[in-house]
Amino acid sequence: MCSAQNTTPAEAGRWTFRILCAPCHGIRADGGRGPDLTLGTYNAGDQDADLYRVISRGVPGTEMAGYAGRVTDDEIRQLVAYIRSVGHAQAAVPGNSAAGEQIFWNKGGCGQCHRVGTKGSSLGPDLTRVGRQRSLAYLTASLLKPDADITPGYATITVVTRDGKKIVGVERNFDNFSAQFVDLSGKYYSFLREDVTSMTREPRSLMPSTYGKLLSEAEVQDLLAYLNSLRGAR
Amino acid sequence: MKLFLVFAGTLAFAQDWTSYGKNDLGWRYSELDQINTQTVARLAPQWMYQTNTPGKNETTPLVFDGMMYVTGPSNNAWALDAVTGRPIWSYKKALPANVNLCCGQVNRGFARRGTALYKVNLEGTLVALDAKSGAVRWESTLEDYKKGYSATSAPLVVKNLVVTGMAGAEYGTRGFIDAYDADTGKRAWRVYTVAEGGPSWSADSWKRGGGSTWITGTYDPSLNLIYWGTGNPGPDMDGQGRLGDNLYTCSLIAIDADTGKIKWHFQFTPHDLHDWDAIGDPVLTDLVMEGRPVKAVIQANRNGFFYALDRTNGKVLVAKAYTRVTWADGIGPDGRPVPIAGQDPTEEGNRTCPGMAGGHNWQATAYSPMTGLYYFTSSERCMLFYKTKQEFKEGKWYQASTVGRDEPGNGRIDAIDPKTGKLAWYFETVTSPTGGVLATAGGLVFSGDAEGYLIALDAKTGKPLWRFQTGGTVIAPPISYALNGRQYIAVAAGQTMITFSLPKP
Repeated sequence: MCSAQNTTPAEAGRWTFRILCAPCHGIRADGGRGPDLTLGTYNAGDQDADLYRVISRGVPGTEMAGYAGRVTDDEIRQLVAYIRSVGHAQAAVPGNSAAGEQIFWNKGGCGQCHRVGTKGSSLGPDLTRVGRQRSLAYLTASLLKPDADITPGYATITVVTRDGKKIVGVERNFDNFSAQFVDLSGKYYSFLREDVTSMTREPRSLMPSTYGKLLSEAEVQDLLAYLNSLRGAR
Repeated sequence: MKLFLVFAGTLAFAQDWTSYGKNDLGWRYSELDQINTQTVARLAPQWMYQTNTPGKNETTPLVFDGMMYVTGPSNNAWALDAVTGRPIWSYKKALPANVNLCCGQVNRGFARRGTALYKVNLEGTLVALDAKSGAVRWESTLEDYKKGYSATSAPLVVKNLVVTGMAGAEYGTRGFIDAYDADTGKRAWRVYTVAEGGPSWSADSWKRGGGSTWITGTYDPSLNLIYWGTGNPGPDMDGQGRLGDNLYTCSLIAIDADTGKIKWHFQFTPHDLHDWDAIGDPVLTDLVMEGRPVKAVIQANRNGFFYALDRTNGKVLVAKAYTRVTWADGIGPDGRPVPIAGQDPTEEGNRTCPGMAGGHNWQATAYSPMTGLYYFTSSERCMLFYKTKQEFKEGKWYQASTVGRDEPGNGRIDAIDPKTGKLAWYFETVTSPTGGVLATAGGLVFSGDAEGYLIALDAKTGKPLWRFQTGGTVIAPPISYALNGRQYIAVAAGQTMITFSLPKP
């Protein structure tokens, strides 16, 4: 058993974090269903008091519950200490964000599937606030190996119709009896399982896995710098 | 149709649904057959009742005397006219602040005896209501909610007793099953599901050993035995402080209904480290095995194995994996699992199948005497299990563990031959199933899914014959009842109670 005397607040907070917070925020606080907490910047405010408030009361309208009744004030302060200990201002991103923005909308063609603010397409995940939601390591993996982690609801749907036609697109809904999806041209489809030859959902991305070849190393860094800069309207 | 009319005219038990498992044996089998494989295609909604109460709806409604009695989340309940769905009375009790609940403010239904209804409240009380008015007749406290005790399951009426389980194994509690006098609310007996001391618990770990009893048991009048499944030991994934088998957690116990004494126990998962509560419905059925009639109790256990036990003595008859299992290489002739090394949770995380919610969790199961098959929903899913350090503090979360983010998993509605444990058929689902199961004499199996469909399958083949998109996740099991010559199917979906019937001729 650990005792309060020889344990730092951050270390004590780590064990509480593993139990209460890790199911959503990840065992290393680097995100999952809930936001990545290692970024050093947080949706609900960046002061210790903001973190304390969010842990204590939760965030209305989200899955973040309030923990005031389940943990003591001291434990909340330990959690804040732990989150501070893993949150680090990100290493300066080497690329040029302005150049990355050009690549995003032109050479990379990213806007054909992704949206930033009011610009772009809604085929793939909205990237308006992605720099706040995802770590640089996650963004790098997603850019170079799009299949590494699929945002829930964006799997690939393949339908083979009765006349042998194969249609592939990005999931909008998939259930036991039907599939709805959008193909790369933006066309929307809805099929009933009983009306087609086959209907499958695969945890892979329709995003090209060729950005490591299409873009130079410097261009990849520029694009990552731009994605990292996307912090939403706030 | 002829059979239906005979039943409807003579047997109230066929028309009504008066206990959690439909009969004492827990079959969830409706003898009604107006809705059958031939007519189900015409099944259509009749009414909906919006409870306007957020939360997960896990209730099994009761229907008798023309009324439907529905419990809901957050200490709510309603009496609805069973033909029209119009509300007749409602019950609500304010929840004290800071009631510790692992899994939401849920409730799974009423029990009935004569004109009384019985339900638990979340803060660990058992309340008796007048079925006509909803007025409270008595309310008894099971145990102090400030110490982590709570209650969510439907009680079971056995003779003059109301038998109830409790919840709270994630808060360092000591599990039990209580029986109360149905008229007075006075406690008749209590059986602890955690044995006091002894070789199966190191040091004083039994005092907070878990073993909660959060799903309703069953009753065999011929043996006068109550069968009840018990939950995980606590803390869940750190077993170092509770060395030993940890009896009677993750077990099925057979209790003498008059004395509350344990007649026998069978432990499915000794010294559990994966939160595999043995709380699936203990369904009682008589099987013929190798030409010999056997009084059996069957359960699809959360640890991934289907079991049939001799319910007179707890000896294992059948134990067979029904989903992907990586932690045990089968079950030995003595009923103990043959463990595979290296499957315990670690600080860095260890991947094991099935996941924490098990191959089959608490969702209601069904047995059809017509097909001889046992129906339940199952998941094909693995999970990363982490052990972690945690000090015990009374009334506080005490799980010493966590699991990795959910891996996408699919599932099935399974039909198993309980004599062999062999799969007769399955209906594959795109996500892990959420709902319970109903079997009917119409040759149908009903179940709801995570995406909101209520589904009717052919009980012999698993072929889907009908579906309806309810608009809300179906967690509750469907039931069936008849009124004025019409058979109904009813289920809670999202925040809504919905009934279905065939169009009037």
